[in-house]
Amino acid sequence: MLETITQFRLHLAQLLGAHPQIEGWFFTLVRFVFPLLALLILIRAIRGLLRVPRAGERWGQLALPGGGSIPITRWENILGRAPLADIRLDLPTVSRQHAALIREGKGQWRVEDLGSKGGTKVNGKPVSGSAPLQVGDTLWVGGVELLFLPLSQEEEEHLAARRRMEQPLPMWPSLIWLTLFQLLAAVQFFLKSEEEGWAPLVLPALSVVMWIYFLVMRGAGARGFEMETIAFFLSTLSLAVTISSAPGAAVKQLIAVVLGLLFMLALGIFMRDPSRIQKMRWLMAAMAVGLLSVTLVIGKTKFGASNWIILGPLSFQPSEVAKIFYIFAGAASLERLFHKRNLGLFMVLTGVCLLCLALMSDFGTACIFFATFLVIAYLRSGDFATLSLITGGAAFAGLLVLQFKPYIFQRFASWGHAWEAASTTGYQQTRAMSAAASGGLVGMGGGNGWLHRIGAADTDLVFGMLCEEWGLIIAVLAVLSIVTLAVFAARVCGVGRSAFPTIAACAAGSLLVVQTCLNVFGAMDLLPLTGVTFPFVSNGGSAMIASWGLLAFLKGADTRERSSFVVGKDRAEKPKGGGADEKA
Amino acid sequence: MKKLERRAVLCLVLAGCLVFGLLVFLVRFGLSGTRWASSAFNRHLYNSQGMLISGTVLDRYGTPLCWVNEDGERVYIDGKTMRKAILHVVGDPYGNIGTGALTAFAKELTGYTLLGGAYGAERGNQLYLTIDAQLNEVAYQALNGKKGAVAVYNYQTGEVLCMVSSPSYDPRNIPDDLETNPDYEGVYLNRCLSSTFTPGSVFKLVTLSAALEQIPDLMERTWKCEGSAQIGDGTVTCTSAHGEQTIEQALANSCNVVFGQLAVELGGATLEEYTQKAGLTKSYSVSGIPTAKGTFTFQGSLTENDLAWSGVGQYHDSVNPCALMVYMGAIANGGKAAVPTLVQKVDTPGWPDLPQFTKKTGRLIAQDTAKEITDMMANNVTQTYGTKRFPGMDLCAKSGTAEVGSDQKPHAWFAGFLRNEDAPYAFVVLVENGGSGSDVAGTVASKVLKAALD
Repeated sequence: MLETITQFRLHLAQLLGAHPQIEGWFFTLVRFVFPLLALLILIRAIRGLLRVPRAGERWGQLALPGGGSIPITRWENILGRAPLADIRLDLPTVSRQHAALIREGKGQWRVEDLGSKGGTKVNGKPVSGSAPLQVGDTLWVGGVELLFLPLSQEEEEHLAARRRMEQPLPMWPSLIWLTLFQLLAAVQFFLKSEEEGWAPLVLPALSVVMWIYFLVMRGAGARGFEMETIAFFLSTLSLAVTISSAPGAAVKQLIAVVLGLLFMLALGIFMRDPSRIQKMRWLMAAMAVGLLSVTLVIGKTKFGASNWIILGPLSFQPSEVAKIFYIFAGAASLERLFHKRNLGLFMVLTGVCLLCLALMSDFGTACIFFATFLVIAYLRSGDFATLSLITGGAAFAGLLVLQFKPYIFQRFASWGHAWEAASTTGYQQTRAMSAAASGGLVGMGGGNGWLHRIGAADTDLVFGMLCEEWGLIIAVLAVLSIVTLAVFAARVCGVGRSAFPTIAACAAGSLLVVQTCLNVFGAMDLLPLTGVTFPFVSNGGSAMIASWGLLAFLKGADTRERSSFVVGKDRAEKPKGGGADEKA
Repeated sequence: MKKLERRAVLCLVLAGCLVFGLLVFLVRFGLSGTRWASSAFNRHLYNSQGMLISGTVLDRYGTPLCWVNEDGERVYIDGKTMRKAILHVVGDPYGNIGTGALTAFAKELTGYTLLGGAYGAERGNQLYLTIDAQLNEVAYQALNGKKGAVAVYNYQTGEVLCMVSSPSYDPRNIPDDLETNPDYEGVYLNRCLSSTFTPGSVFKLVTLSAALEQIPDLMERTWKCEGSAQIGDGTVTCTSAHGEQTIEQALANSCNVVFGQLAVELGGATLEEYTQKAGLTKSYSVSGIPTAKGTFTFQGSLTENDLAWSGVGQYHDSVNPCALMVYMGAIANGGKAAVPTLVQKVDTPGWPDLPQFTKKTGRLIAQDTAKEITDMMANNVTQTYGTKRFPGMDLCAKSGTAEVGSDQKPHAWFAGFLRNEDAPYAFVVLVENGGSGSDVAGTVASKVLKAALD
């Protein structure tokens, strides 16, 4: 294989030796091809994700006494008079949050009284606490008698047809364009690099990884690949940036993509069974705290934050992976949506994590954790006032630290006027901005930049490198890809099954967005430069693995028909028809 | 679950923040991106010494003035005096002279654009200036080491043929004491474009234009100058008693008494109106380089005596040499002149040359008034400055000797234009602390114009 490539390179060198202008033409032409390919790849993926899923799932129905019925669209439903109740019974005898109708992991349904005034009965028996609900049972809610029924055959077929209409877009065209992108980029790097390096080969290798993943998943019945397409595209940019800045690390970065992919699969398959999630949340919280505190003890300092663990040849940034455990624990500690649990334990977890990060001087990651905390806490409690208070408190604490230990923030001193401190604290930002402005719309071409010689160019300043080498169009598209993931997470809540995947997806989406904000705006001097990575794009194994891990949470909320490997079909366990007749 | 759906808006808000920030970035990119890219550490456009990586500056006849050699070093034309003479139009290698071509036309030289980026910048373009390098050398030599400015331009096409600013230095051997020696004070400024100076008597042309239009019997009047006159609460003095004189003679004598009285008679508002109309308070864009704006005080808490002095170009008057030159061009050209340009053409390998357009100023002076002033300025030369000093030239001019403090010699000015059909040139000469305008600055102008006509 290597021999063939060596042969190819030799031929190529001969050809170019004979016609030196070909190389120039190739570079000039290919600059415009890359943004075009990026558009072709992403527009389809973004369009696919932003289509609002309207036809959600149906799990059964509650027949009303006077005819008509209310569909059950979720696994966790609140019955009550409140406007935001999932199954709304607008009668004065029904409490605002009267009862909950819950589907257990194995497909059995249960009803729980939420301290209602009028009481809840199943088949005439009052429910204290919770009681199982079988198909055909009558559910008495504050004077309303409902019959728990499956969907009729007709309705089910109709729904299935509608859901088929909303199936994810096929991603084949995007994949083909992405493969072309990767191959052209590899050729460009080969032509560019003076020395005999094999680093550009990681790009076609990524193509192979990508196609294996898609074919295997497709074979297993998955249909939705928009998110993976985006992630593979961003990973391609990551490899391109790495080839340019640290060719020796390109293979490592490719391995990180593969590990990330496997991590995503493992996490996703693990989450298929909701019953595991509750059991594991303490372990997850412990993992998050453990990873951070271990780093605190044996962490080494790189680029101002002591958040690295170095084991022989391996260096590892545990705070990246801790994010995933943190989201897992945070989203899972809300057992059920309707339980008015206070946020105490979650706040303790957050506090410990933030303390560890602050002691490591990793303020960027601390910001990300805090923003994620706010998202999870708000989704869980809806308590805007308390969270505003907490935010105010955090800001106050920040100011206190600023007051007593101003040297900590000296790194951020040039924020907003980097150009006045271009040779000191604004050094990185000004270089990133200058390089970014040199790329124009379509970039100087991969490997044809100078920003990579600046420290942390392929991590903290990676947006500058994207602009410089790949152009403003691709850089902006990369940011919009992240936006798309978050918007998808928010919109898919409308058809979410239960609290955990919904909260986890929103938290993951928000985390990606906040991280991108800090990275991009930090490098471009719109925010202080805090040294966080651009999800998927920055060079760095831990960050890459963590980004793919977060994608598992997003996949977990994707309830479109057969689109996600994380979300099971659960058709077999749906309440079967005929139950009511048997009773009768 | 519906509650969750509602609360997920927070996620959208965060995404919105990212989009908003991205838009802010794009706006800043659009507004300041060119400035970001033109940082000396940008290796796409500058070499490791911070010098522009590519592009050749040539004069109007194609003489290369500054280029990049095979070793990637930026080099200047041979001849120490020549290098000093062209320094301010070409610019220094480190970008200290902001109005120099290397800085002001860096985009044209490298081919950098905000949207196209720096791709291909290493090839570079040929930038032909409108400057005649030989003429610049003559002008620099004529200044004879004194601080000052010389500029000549074609008032019909706008081409600047000569633009020299002194003090200057040799960019090949940059003096160590450049930033400390007072002789080099303001060395990075192109005095023609970026400085303003007390105009002295050359400003009488503006007062005259106002008087010609506002005082109907001006041409019939005569004045008697006894060397000084009481105006307001002080005196206005002349170098000598000029005796009985018409307005034409008063201009040739550059009589402060007459023009001081005229200024008071016209009033501050009128003087201000004509000064603004003359373009002396506005900034011109010379191929994109903005000129300094002149400043004047005609109204407010100034006495009659102050007003009289401001009418003869003293008091708080301050004028930009280039703007004054354009005014001269406008007088010559019937009220409107071409705006000066420094770039003749940009030659990009493989692309056709873009045509350069001549841009006219607005009306700086009424056509009839311009004609009358032209005649009087011609009379200045025959009466006072001497036609022999300007052979073969149909010259109209006005000198100025601007007092700049009792302990310093006055600034010497000489400004005007040629009516020669084949040489429609307006010019301005300023010698700082040079002494008499017509003697010192007039001599510089004579040498430069002679060379320009050769």
